[in-house]
Amino acid sequence: MKLPVFWGCRILTSQYAYEMSIRQVLPRLGVELVDLREMHCCGDYIKSINMFAATYMAARILALANETSIKNLLVPCSRCHFALSETQHILEENRNLKDKVDALLKKEKLNYSSDIKIWHIIDFIHDVIGVECIRQKVKRSLKGLKFASHVGCQTIRPSSIKRVDNPETPRKLDELIKALGAESLEYPEKLDCCGAALMSSHQEAALTLAGSKLKALQELGVDGLIDSCPACHTIFDTKQESAATTIGGKLAMPVLYYTQLLGIAMQINVEKLGLHLNQSPVEKILEISSS
Amino acid sequence: MSLVDLMSMAKPNEELRKKILQKLHEELAYCFQCAKCTSGCTAFKLLELVPHEIMRLTKLGFIEELITSEIIWTCATCLKCVERCPQNVSPYHVIIALRNIAVKQEAKIPEAYLKAVSQILETGLAQTIEKVTTKKMESLDRQKLHLPEIKHPTETFRTTFLKILEGHEL
Repeated sequence: MKLPVFWGCRILTSQYAYEMSIRQVLPRLGVELVDLREMHCCGDYIKSINMFAATYMAARILALANETSIKNLLVPCSRCHFALSETQHILEENRNLKDKVDALLKKEKLNYSSDIKIWHIIDFIHDVIGVECIRQKVKRSLKGLKFASHVGCQTIRPSSIKRVDNPETPRKLDELIKALGAESLEYPEKLDCCGAALMSSHQEAALTLAGSKLKALQELGVDGLIDSCPACHTIFDTKQESAATTIGGKLAMPVLYYTQLLGIAMQINVEKLGLHLNQSPVEKILEISSS
Repeated sequence: MSLVDLMSMAKPNEELRKKILQKLHEELAYCFQCAKCTSGCTAFKLLELVPHEIMRLTKLGFIEELITSEIIWTCATCLKCVERCPQNVSPYHVIIALRNIAVKQEAKIPEAYLKAVSQILETGLAQTIEKVTTKKMESLDRQKLHLPEIKHPTETFRTTFLKILEGHEL
């Protein structure tokens, strides 16, 4: 099946491993990714500046997706996923606003359509591809590995609009980890926010949030943390060393995107999955899984 | 930072109060100060954000105090308050609305947001395109990683975006 994809700024400008692993994994699951004609910010940052501008930006992305005539859109970033889903909801509720946005888009011969299904990587793999299919794709079982899952806050809340999983007891990512033969542990801090949104204004608080969660997992003795959002991944993986310094402890927690972990289980070349771009000690995972 | 000091001499601004009540009537009217939002707030412990206080102060019209305070920028946008409110109201959206007013009134806002605006005007993207360094100290970019080139948006997108920010489209 063909699936248009909206990557979002963070993936396109620095979190390359997420894009690489998705581009490797999905075609092997029978999905052909279609890039949109243009890429621009989904409006997430702009909500704080001007809500109308943010709505216009997200609606424009949905209009660009509509150009492909395919009614599904993959949005692998939690924040972009929320921005687009919320805009769909707002425009459905507020006719007046929709007319205004439509008028702006019409000037560019773009058509907003309300019937585009927005998928995150987790619900797309879980609901469309299916856990059973994933189980069958495993060539190298990850049996013996214990992981913790981190679900991006904005993919599961608020449940008043369509979200990826249950807001208080998300399970899909755990089921997908288990499908690879590994364990996915329940832990008290599971729903704690990574803090990434605070990096731009309150860096110390942001790093404290991320560092505390990683420290708790380290004490729990998990082999790694699995995430699926470029903002969460930036603070847990790319900034792990700074997080350790901020909380005054030592952190050595492997952090991988789910699509990277899936790729490892499918025996895809790890460089193609961008594993050499992870800053956390991901080699540990490879050592354990091949021993 | 706490709001207590800010509030000691404050007087409500009726004009701003009316405006925000019009815009957020339902959010503010139904809040009964149960503080469930605060009990689960990510920013409460570290940054002293007290969402139910923000709700009450907004309703009372202390808008200027809020928009000139750093406190509205401490929200981690985890959306737990929206999810858990028994009255289905959203402190998160009130905070976003206050931030929008802060921008309009030219109050001081975190630089990163202004930087994102200028980035978008330049390239369409909120972040700068980075080279990443591997643990072996190799410096890699999209091209070296065999990732396709970024297709930047048209000029029309950027001019429309700017016009909205300047208020011509509202």
